[in-house]
Amino acid sequence: MPHPLFGYHGKYLRVDVSTEQAESIALEEVTLRHYLGGSGLGVKLLLDEMTAEIEPLAPEAAIAFVFSPLVGSPLTTSAKFAVVSKSPLTERINDSLASSGFALAGKKTGHDALVITGRAVEPSVLVIEEGRARLQPAGDLWGLTNGEAQKRLREQLGGDYQIATIGPAGERLVRYATISHDGRHAGRGGSGAVLGSKNLKAIAVRGSQRCKWAQPEKLIDYAKQLSGKSFGPATAKYRELGTATNLLVFNRLNVLPTRNFQQGSFAGAEALSPERLSETRERTRASCACCTIGCEHLYSLSGQSAGVGLKTSVRVEYESLFALGPLCEVPDPDVVLAASRRCDELGIDTISAGGTIAFAMECAELGYLQAPWLRFGDGSALLRALEEIGAGTELGQLLAGGSRRLARHIGHDTIDFAPQVKGLEIPGYDPRGLQTMALGFAVGARGADHNRSGAYEVDFSDQVDRFNVGIEAAALAVETEDKAAVMDSLILCKFLRGVFDDFFADAANMLELVTGWETSAEEMRETAQRIVTAKKEFNIRAGWTPAEDTLPARMLRQPLPEEARAQLSPQRLQALVVAYNGARGWSAEGYPVGMITGH
Amino acid sequence: MPVDVELFGIPRARAGVALTTATGDCLGDVLHDLAVQFPSLGETCIEGRQLRAGYTANLSGQRFVTDPETPLAVDDTLLLLSLDAGG
Repeated sequence: MPHPLFGYHGKYLRVDVSTEQAESIALEEVTLRHYLGGSGLGVKLLLDEMTAEIEPLAPEAAIAFVFSPLVGSPLTTSAKFAVVSKSPLTERINDSLASSGFALAGKKTGHDALVITGRAVEPSVLVIEEGRARLQPAGDLWGLTNGEAQKRLREQLGGDYQIATIGPAGERLVRYATISHDGRHAGRGGSGAVLGSKNLKAIAVRGSQRCKWAQPEKLIDYAKQLSGKSFGPATAKYRELGTATNLLVFNRLNVLPTRNFQQGSFAGAEALSPERLSETRERTRASCACCTIGCEHLYSLSGQSAGVGLKTSVRVEYESLFALGPLCEVPDPDVVLAASRRCDELGIDTISAGGTIAFAMECAELGYLQAPWLRFGDGSALLRALEEIGAGTELGQLLAGGSRRLARHIGHDTIDFAPQVKGLEIPGYDPRGLQTMALGFAVGARGADHNRSGAYEVDFSDQVDRFNVGIEAAALAVETEDKAAVMDSLILCKFLRGVFDDFFADAANMLELVTGWETSAEEMRETAQRIVTAKKEFNIRAGWTPAEDTLPARMLRQPLPEEARAQLSPQRLQALVVAYNGARGWSAEGYPVGMITGH
Repeated sequence: MPVDVELFGIPRARAGVALTTATGDCLGDVLHDLAVQFPSLGETCIEGRQLRAGYTANLSGQRFVTDPETPLAVDDTLLLLSLDAGG
């Protein structure tokens, strides 16, 4: 008789919404141990589904909602899930994570993942309760914002369901549409469009099946210690000020992308900073489910000036502030907060929205795009552009494809300054002044990404000269990527990373307490390498070539105007990429030596 | 030697100022002086002549420094900030 699994149900639910058939499929213990959960297990499931070879918005394409062994445990920040699919924005692997009660309820359905294929015949809600799945019509929800749809569904289904939705942008297949739940978003890469392509407005989950833990008493003791550390100095920045406090730091270091990456500093940064925002408006804090850090900072937004009606509050994150503020050169905090709120309502990624609009502003300024009203610094233009994306106007449809598609449409070599890698808009770190991060962006499996590579940590240290990074930085970049791969698969919030003395050893300990597996830091490192390689394998099957591992030409030709040392040549970036591939044990071009996932 | 100091994030919140001046010829001496001037900064961000875990220092927006013996030049500006950049 096989020994019981701890921390896992040992199966996933595969739902074909074309046929309304659902099937529980067993997951082998070795698969779980090799890929953990979250992003890792998600990419493995998609490799098995042959999704890499399929057009991402085709009915046959699979999208996976993946939980983890730690979901449901007392470990702080563990109530997270990963949404994994082929990205309609990049046509490469996409894994986006969110924290909410959806993870807890989803796992209680008795499954470690929900894999959805097909296309419903009409707009629908997929309702999953315990092991059963059904569709119910969602015609009355179509067109509603995320908040409205979740509220109405709770009224229809009852309060004990956890509901993830898409907004109007997902319905319109905006290629950077999000999936939202309770104000949290699986944000990057367009998973909302994948759900929209399946005619699914929402997924509602409810269940009662809990997993046992291998060593519950020790796990609870460890969880108490971890929670205690989470109140300490390593997380004070997130707890007291939020991520937005990066704004002034990045501005001072001349790495705050401004005016579509034409500058590294913004004259209006002070007015947008949380330090200033908290002087002039009410601020409240909130936490994700099961989180003791509480990094969410919400600021009041006066309705009149931003045209949003009643006074409301808006969650402010650095990435949203940078993308909708400096990147578009918009200095008005009311407008930036209103734009951020509108992105959440429509269900679009703020980074890709801001990046695409900033790029469009530059194209309009150059006369390449017939939208003379779309100008840098014009807050009303920013808000109008967002509305056009949500409404699907002619211009909105162009913007809905992201900056790379828009550049291809416009021509005139505008691709040189489209702010993207592999089609994913670059987050708020100018790679010319943070050159280890430049490498992380270039080689990232899902494109330019600050969550899958934490290479900026290396730049913010005395290990490298951030303006002149040598190939020794490649191994350091690999280390941050490996940590992220394990954190995104266990799953834990990255804001905890500063509390661990030895992350891989702590990760092994947590996994052992939950699952009973005798594991080690070394095994965790091997797991990270396996997960990163699996993502590369997915991309290769989807058509990846080595030429994709680069940055926009602007980043490789023009130094930042504020800092002459902030320049990165194509040759040096290429040398870094080759060194990275070597540190991974891959060929110089970036091909893994043998496909380790068995395909 | 007086050195200009810019504070960001938690160091700014603890000190209650964005800009100040401290005295010292090396990083450790300046940090020690800051801890004396701003006890709340000393309690949370500085331990002796070093920054506590979670905080870092940068010279004039150029290089990050941690060694307390790092010499400071007369025109250096010391930036104090929280270590983690992500978010």
